[in-house]
Amino acid sequence: MQETDPQTINFPGILASSVHDMKNSLSTLMTLIARLEKMYPDAKPPEFRQLQFEANRMNNSLVQLLILYKIESSRFSLSIDAHPAQDIIHDIMTQQSALLSLSPVRLLNECPADLMCYCDNALISSAIGTIVNNAHRYCREKILLSAAQKDDHVVFCVEDDGAGYPDQFVSAEAGASIPFEPGTGSTGLGLYFAATLAQMHTNGAQRGFTKIDNNSRFGGARFSLYLP
Amino acid sequence: MMTPNLKSKKILIVEDYPVMRKAIEQMLYTLNAQQIVTTDTGLGAISEMKKAKFDIVLCDYNLGTGKNGQQVLEEAKYHKLLPFNAVFIMITAEQNQGMVLGAMDNKPDEYLTKPFNAQQLFSRLQRNFVRKLYLVSVEREIDKGNFALATHNCEKLLRQNDPNMRLPLLKLRGELALNTGDLKTAQSVYQEVLQQRDLPWARLGLGIIAFHQNDYELAIATFQDLIGLYPMMLEAYDWLAKAHEAADDPQEALETVNLALDLSPSAILRQKKLAALADKTENLELAEKAYKTAVKLGKNSVHKSPSDYSGLARIYVKTNAPHEALQTLEELHQQFANEPEAELRAAIIETEVFQKLGDDTLALQAFDKARQLNEQFGKNTPEDLRLELVKTCFMQGDHSTSEKIIADLVRNNIDDPHFIDDINKICTGFNHNAFSENLIQRTRQEVVTINNRGVSLFKQGKVKEALEVFENAFSKMPNNKTIILNMAKIIVYDIKANGSSVEKMLNAKVVIKKAIQLGVAYNKIAPLQQELASLANDHADRRPALAPE
Repeated sequence: MQETDPQTINFPGILASSVHDMKNSLSTLMTLIARLEKMYPDAKPPEFRQLQFEANRMNNSLVQLLILYKIESSRFSLSIDAHPAQDIIHDIMTQQSALLSLSPVRLLNECPADLMCYCDNALISSAIGTIVNNAHRYCREKILLSAAQKDDHVVFCVEDDGAGYPDQFVSAEAGASIPFEPGTGSTGLGLYFAATLAQMHTNGAQRGFTKIDNNSRFGGARFSLYLP
Repeated sequence: MMTPNLKSKKILIVEDYPVMRKAIEQMLYTLNAQQIVTTDTGLGAISEMKKAKFDIVLCDYNLGTGKNGQQVLEEAKYHKLLPFNAVFIMITAEQNQGMVLGAMDNKPDEYLTKPFNAQQLFSRLQRNFVRKLYLVSVEREIDKGNFALATHNCEKLLRQNDPNMRLPLLKLRGELALNTGDLKTAQSVYQEVLQQRDLPWARLGLGIIAFHQNDYELAIATFQDLIGLYPMMLEAYDWLAKAHEAADDPQEALETVNLALDLSPSAILRQKKLAALADKTENLELAEKAYKTAVKLGKNSVHKSPSDYSGLARIYVKTNAPHEALQTLEELHQQFANEPEAELRAAIIETEVFQKLGDDTLALQAFDKARQLNEQFGKNTPEDLRLELVKTCFMQGDHSTSEKIIADLVRNNIDDPHFIDDINKICTGFNHNAFSENLIQRTRQEVVTINNRGVSLFKQGKVKEALEVFENAFSKMPNNKTIILNMAKIIVYDIKANGSSVEKMLNAKVVIKKAIQLGVAYNKIAPLQQELASLANDHADRRPALAPE
């Protein structure tokens, strides 16, 4: 055995194996939640919904931290291919299915069947999935997840019927650092991650970007991710 | 969404973590699965796949000690344990891990990131089954090695103009064209894709085409550009290394492989490549390290091979570490008991080591063993090993055995300039080049004479006689690529000119298969395969007209 020398500690290695470990724990946790859930009749205690929501959140944050770390250390590149936008929407819906089954919130979707987009589908659905998960907390009863062609871009939108983003969020530039507010439960990580990822998608001189505003069709918050 | 129903599917779960294994099993039960087999190790997975054909394999990448998920997949593909329409899903902890793990020909159908729920699992399975069903006419033929029919079916699907399937089909069409040496079609496919969108696989395709056209400069530039844009795209590194090597720049090739290994250290084939390149460029320290890693990775891999051990032992001989060399050979014996190739490799190096240690008796003993093994199994051992033995025989002063092996090697490789060059180099090293040059010249003349005689008979319309000439030559030079290729050509032309019969078709297929086994370049074989397929198709197309159902 080698002696552990703090100077030569392989941080990426530790990070990766810890994430792996934490994800195993999370998987176990989610399995146990599901098992407990079955023991209750319908009209399950609202705590289950909270458990599912928090587990999703933790998972999203882990994924994002690890990817951002890899981008930072140049050990990352996108895996770009053509994907039906519908498949991405569907991936996000299924990812949310456990939470939705416990929640009165309705997740609606809207997407033309033949709309194709060019992206790293696993990462894009993870980024948008995080936004959807957060919308659960702020919406009243529904969230709309949509994809559409808009000029040269395919736009994915998450719209809710809540109170909308706070003013200081909306005035921040797309992709600029979103104000970090300790204690509010919002680190801005999800939005930062989505913006970073969108910008890495290019087509010729065009780049992807994200936008937040309060122009939701239901009068709440709207998040848009543009893919070139 | 369709009602989840996996009732008819035979499913294998490979997961070392009991809670996770149970969880996946539970999920599958909620999807109505009834035939589930579970195992907690890679070794277990392989033995289950040998026992039964599965429709779905869900395999965790990280399986603790022993084989990992990638090694399971490699072995399953290598031994053809998976039906072509089975779905293999690799479960990983990280998003975006796929590119790093994926070896060129051993990609799973899908990566699924933990944690996931039953709906996600079902949705992925469903999507893969739909895709496989759509592509079945193409993938079934690829699985059978019938690229011509696969191409035909792929084009048929393309004509259906399904916008969601157009790019996946073009990708497949490009790969088929590359595999059959149809570079022109491949180029037009990739250019068509790139006009619409700058997709990395289409760029890679253009680089591969440049490589096959021996335009290494363009190939290298293309792969370098890709790596600049997609630094984790390991396939681009593999091709870049190949291009550097082909351009006779082993040092650059070595550095490229090294970069790829830095990103993906557990890829055994890259470690082997690094070892060989380091060995070739006399970078003994690196070669030692790479061979050691290859040996270690080989313990859980289908790519485990005696040449990694003998390579390492040879490095120890070069660095004057005879005891380490003997120890490595001892391990070689243990790992490959009773395998002639392994024993021959060991005996050759033992001869050299004992010689170095000044123990003539043991050296002679080892050398005798090597000669005896060569007598028994020599013709079935790899050619790099036979060349090694040539060197050892020269060193031991046994010129007659050397000459015998050389004669055999020259006859079988007369049309491979690199190999002939290697033979000449070795002979020159032992002042024996007059022998090899003379032999090479005579053999070349012999092939030319046979060829001319066969071709001239064929031109006179004496197809049967022409075939006899080549068949006769083939029995003397069973590994000569020119002869087998000409045989195949004559058989196919004969069918075309004089009509088909079951016997002729069968013969053509056998000869073409043999040519592929011998490594005749695909761009030479593919036109014949295509010709044969269209002849067979004409035949098949006509039939319904004669006997409508």
